Amino acid sequence: MKKKFVSIVTAVLLAFPLLAKAAPVKIGFINSITGKEAQIGENLTNGVTMAIEDLKAKGIQVELVKEDDGGDPKNALAAYEKLATRDGVIGVVGPYTSGCANVVASRADQYQVPLLVPAAAKEEITMKGYKNVFRLNAPANVYSMVLMDAVKAFHPKTIAYVYAATDFGVSTVKTAQDNALKMGLKEVANEKYQQGQPDYRPSLYKVKAANPDLVFLVSYDADAILLMRQAKEIGLTPKAFLGAGAGYTTAQFAQQTEISNLVVSATQWTDDVNWAGASDFGRRYKAKYSKEPSYHAACAYEAMRIMVETASKTRSAAKLRAALKSGSWNGILGPVKFADYGGFTNQNNHPMLVQQIQNGKYETVYPSTFSKKRLIFPFTR
Amino acid sequence: MSFLQPLLSGILTGGVYALAGMGMSLVFGVMNISNFAHGDLMMLGMYMAFFAFTLLHIDPYVSLVLIIPTAFLFGFMVEKLFINRVIHHPHQNQILLTIGLGLIMSNTALLAFTSDPKILTTTYSSSAFNLPGGISLSVPLLISFLITGVTIAILYLFLAKSRTGMALRATSQNREAAQLMGINVAKMSAIAFGIGTALAATAGALIAPTYYIHPLAGHSFLLKAFTICVLGGLGSVVGAGVGGIIIGVVEAMSSTYWSTDWKDVIVFVLFLAVLLFRPQGLFGKKGGE
Repeated sequence: MKKKFVSIVTAVLLAFPLLAKAAPVKIGFINSITGKEAQIGENLTNGVTMAIEDLKAKGIQVELVKEDDGGDPKNALAAYEKLATRDGVIGVVGPYTSGCANVVASRADQYQVPLLVPAAAKEEITMKGYKNVFRLNAPANVYSMVLMDAVKAFHPKTIAYVYAATDFGVSTVKTAQDNALKMGLKEVANEKYQQGQPDYRPSLYKVKAANPDLVFLVSYDADAILLMRQAKEIGLTPKAFLGAGAGYTTAQFAQQTEISNLVVSATQWTDDVNWAGASDFGRRYKAKYSKEPSYHAACAYEAMRIMVETASKTRSAAKLRAALKSGSWNGILGPVKFADYGGFTNQNNHPMLVQQIQNGKYETVYPSTFSKKRLIFPFTR
Repeated sequence: MSFLQPLLSGILTGGVYALAGMGMSLVFGVMNISNFAHGDLMMLGMYMAFFAFTLLHIDPYVSLVLIIPTAFLFGFMVEKLFINRVIHHPHQNQILLTIGLGLIMSNTALLAFTSDPKILTTTYSSSAFNLPGGISLSVPLLISFLITGVTIAILYLFLAKSRTGMALRATSQNREAAQLMGINVAKMSAIAFGIGTALAATAGALIAPTYYIHPLAGHSFLLKAFTICVLGGLGSVVGAGVGGIIIGVVEAMSSTYWSTDWKDVIVFVLFLAVLLFRPQGLFGKKGGE
């Protein structure tokens, strides 16, 4: 009897402090933790981990439910359905890749759980008028637009495309073709490739034979290194290599100075821009993970911060959607507002940056309001 | 662009495919087992070359003198511990076992080496020989092709001339008869699996300086190795060699004259055509299993 009494009292005492505090807000996070995109996925995980730590330090309690999609859209969809129905989260951040995010976005209005896409670029994701889909990063058309704007002053005449046969690759090149047309650039080669092949030389020979001024590349991860290595090997030397994000913006790529020097790439974020807290985030990230943060890490950090801060005030999916729609934020990605413009719905009109690898380091070179260094043109080996 | 460029480029890439296919074919010939862990054994070869280069500062091609015996021993042990238990069992059991072993290897590698792709950069990683007529040949691919040639020659001499080699061939032709003639077929199986593993690891190490090293990198080569084996005739080592070169050349040609996007389609259409007209493969024995 005595034992029972003591245990009841202990249980009540233990339960009490929990009652006093507000229940943590429940948020889902879908990411490519395994599979082909796992390397970049890790950056997103790190960004989110830092966001959660910062939020906890501010006293905001959050229960994060993490799901792995392995880079596969059907796993991503299953993860979203599980989060929305079984886990009962009120908002979801992710998934990383365009392919996954696009599929999940198409079901978000059915489950009515707001989805905040941190880094997927396919335009379609926010072009279908989905009420529950929000995107923080700039869509694919901005990648090519900002890259071409950066080299416009040098009057290039021809362009060749080399890109992965993925959602991101195809949609980025499609918009690049539109932008090139506006600039009066002539397309001289168009090479789509399957990822993970050991030999890209046949495609690169074709590009070399066409002798373009600009080579526009879209690749994930290590394919970027492989392509640039084989480009050097066969002596492909255009006036500029333009890499659209992903594989051309990793620290590992920059370290391969022999092949990566002077490659120009578009990015959502760098740590030397004058957005609030950007350099501080870069410094803390390097201290914690002893590597450079990619833009994916920054996007994931900011997406999770916005999601949790908003969700902790609203506490229901419907109110969260309204708050995301009407709110505005300012942080490491600059001013954020989910607006409807130019065919997009709930899209943050994020200004992209152009960086160039100079001596093994990414330097922001465009737009001039954010950059300290100048673009080196033309490309030389 | 010259017709010779994709041809030569394809032959060089095909050399590495051939090596991967031959290891698989040898194992099938002697043991009648389809080794679905073959791609992961290649991946182990890649990591061995990578660590020999970064930790011991040995050139990836020179490190083969370490990798080949290590991989042989590893394969020998794997056969003794696991594979020989299913040698008289139905094919589905064997396939499940090798797939399982492969999954254990790739996921252990994921845990140990993380999913960050490793890049092995040597001084010659992106250099090329320039031949007259604007043709360029990749230095690392050329070296791997030469090493492949030497490896194949040694393997051929071993199989044709040595006592163990003859015993291996006898086991491959008729396991029961070989056993009746006093050949230790259990030992032959372990040796065959050891050689198969060594060939896979060699192929992995040869491709490491021109590819990226990742725990799941073996998977794309597994399908290729299997295609090559079936194309050349399952169990025929010569067939796998020829099959590898054919696949390499067809890939390079179809990317050059059609589209890179379509090269797998063309490879598999060719593969189906060969199977329709020669179901036993190019060098396979008619009526064989």
